[in-house]
Amino acid sequence: MTTTIDRRVIVRAIVVFLLAAAVITVISVIMSDSAQATDTATHVVAADTSSGDSTTTATTTATAGTNRILQSLVNGLAFGTLLALASVGLSLIYGTTGLSNFAHGEQVSFGAVLTYFLVTPQPVTIPFVPVSFTIGLPLVVGAIIAIAVSAGTGWLQDKFLWSPLRRRGVGTVQQMIVSIGLSLAMLNFIQWWVGGGRFRLTIEIDQPISLGLVTIGRTTLISLVIALACLGGVSWFLLKTRLGRATRAVSDNPALASASGIQVGKIIRLVWIIAAGLAGLGGILLGLYEEGTAFDAGARLLMLMFAAVTLGGLGQAFGALVGSLVIGVVAEMSTIWLPADLKVAVALVILILVLLVRPQGILGRAERVG
Amino acid sequence: MDFAGLLTDATREMFAPTTAAFALAAIGLNFHFGLTGLLNMGHAGFMLLGMYGYAITVREGGSMWLGILVAMVLAMLFGLLLGWPTLKLRGDYLAIVTIAAAEFVRFLGRSSVMKNITGGSTGIRGSDYKAPFEALSPFPDKQITIGLWTLHGSSSTSWWLVVVSWSMVAIFAWLFWMLARSPWGRVLKGVREDEDAVRSLGKNVYAYKMQALVIGGVIGALGGILWSFGNAVSPDSMGRPTTFWIWTLLLLGGAATVFGPILGSVLFWTALVLVKGLAAMFIPETLMTATQREPFALILVGVALMLLVIFRPQGILGNRRELAING
Repeated sequence: MTTTIDRRVIVRAIVVFLLAAAVITVISVIMSDSAQATDTATHVVAADTSSGDSTTTATTTATAGTNRILQSLVNGLAFGTLLALASVGLSLIYGTTGLSNFAHGEQVSFGAVLTYFLVTPQPVTIPFVPVSFTIGLPLVVGAIIAIAVSAGTGWLQDKFLWSPLRRRGVGTVQQMIVSIGLSLAMLNFIQWWVGGGRFRLTIEIDQPISLGLVTIGRTTLISLVIALACLGGVSWFLLKTRLGRATRAVSDNPALASASGIQVGKIIRLVWIIAAGLAGLGGILLGLYEEGTAFDAGARLLMLMFAAVTLGGLGQAFGALVGSLVIGVVAEMSTIWLPADLKVAVALVILILVLLVRPQGILGRAERVG
Repeated sequence: MDFAGLLTDATREMFAPTTAAFALAAIGLNFHFGLTGLLNMGHAGFMLLGMYGYAITVREGGSMWLGILVAMVLAMLFGLLLGWPTLKLRGDYLAIVTIAAAEFVRFLGRSSVMKNITGGSTGIRGSDYKAPFEALSPFPDKQITIGLWTLHGSSSTSWWLVVVSWSMVAIFAWLFWMLARSPWGRVLKGVREDEDAVRSLGKNVYAYKMQALVIGGVIGALGGILWSFGNAVSPDSMGRPTTFWIWTLLLLGGAATVFGPILGSVLFWTALVLVKGLAAMFIPETLMTATQREPFALILVGVALMLLVIFRPQGILGNRRELAING
């Protein structure tokens, strides 16, 4: 695992970003042609920012354009940071166990849904228990309990599912299909639990704070501080502590790590706890950022997480960080040219393009891919 | 619902066109996973592409055969595009890329930009494209009762569709059987078991994998067309869960076997109807409302998939020694 983010990495990230921007521009040109030929009413792309046709409005559209670009950049960085919380765990799990965990999206939803369950003033129910009751804890207390329980599910999963599977020598492909089954079961369990609707974690309305050219919500700002603190904490843990070094050793070569006295099983258990806890936190903060969450919030994020993790290099914790930021920025920036409902699609195109030119990702090493 | 009614419903599900469509799609996946060991996690994408290709061609005035051709060509191109970057890499890259690409097709299809072509999130209505197929029906244009079951003669989920879709399943099951025991099929099985050994024999592993991916994808697209005849083209019914169901039923029946996909599909859909019906009968409304039965049944699907892979990866019909899922 690479320990530092050096200059090469930043250059690579920028190259990927520029490449993506070029592709989006090309797609948007093709799209706008076909859309204009057929129907302009549904076309919501502000393509006219570049071609200020009337001289009187030229200056205003120009400033609005830069504002929009800056605003999208800020939104993208915010979204990317929150996405990183979820994808770092996915990457750590892949690095230490070789498992592409398809159930990670449900861990994200679980954190958000559990918080809703604990803090909402509405009456709530539990499956198979025909009594409805109200809990209504304060948001912070509910969130902390939810994160703790999320981390607990990580421990439970590893203790009763994944570590027995590893002990039996079940292959990683087989484990991946097991994780798909788990994801299907968890997704439907959450839907059964809270229903298919969309709900808010807090009734407060996010107050916008103006920072010169861009505005950012107060809650979003607090979320970002929390997210950055947690990501910093994880980085410090991985780079500076003994356990973190052991984690990186397991990630590099489990057999060698085991031979040098590291208890691989315990490290993996710890990674599961951290990953599930971070995913829960990510789910809560994203639920606040998007002002709502649903039973499939994490499932919809899963593809973005995989894109970020693959982009950064499968199994590289810092790669997931860089990849998430790139994906977040590109997805948000794409809304300047493309309709918002293609945001995820753009991220997936980038994923495929990256695999074409650099399958090992931004931080990965070439020789690991066979 | 009474018990006899439930039994009628469950047995109707056994030969329903949807069951056949999923069996056909699973035969396609069997080419990928059963024969070659490819992890295609985006099979619903092939199906969706197939039904878009067919429905749009027919709606714009093309003939039925042209529509089928367009669907097959689209699936072929999709397979080539996906295989090109990933088939030289480790297996999970293909899994991630196929699932991403399938979601991409769905997002593109339901986006507002493509509304005039694909109908956005509402999709394409059945009346826009079903007419040429239903016109070929030899059955009378009314409800027909055979045995316990009443279906329409020729429109939507009809006896005509039942006959056509199960014939297709039979043809492709036969094709799978023929190809699997051909020299070509033996090379694919070799790729599944040990890629390097096959490469050392001078075979072009990449080309063989690509052929399997394309053939399976085209069969998936045909399965998608069959499915759309009984329902309508709607992008959201072809999301990730659909792919996972196909995997579950393939693994349930037994991958790499001829009848595995068919048996798996029949069992899967019948069991879903039975679970929902029994839950409706025995679990009181206060414990589980009607809307909660669907997720409850699907939780069992997820758990069944996990248990299958852990305890019986070869499925009901498979041979454990022949197919050990490996990394």
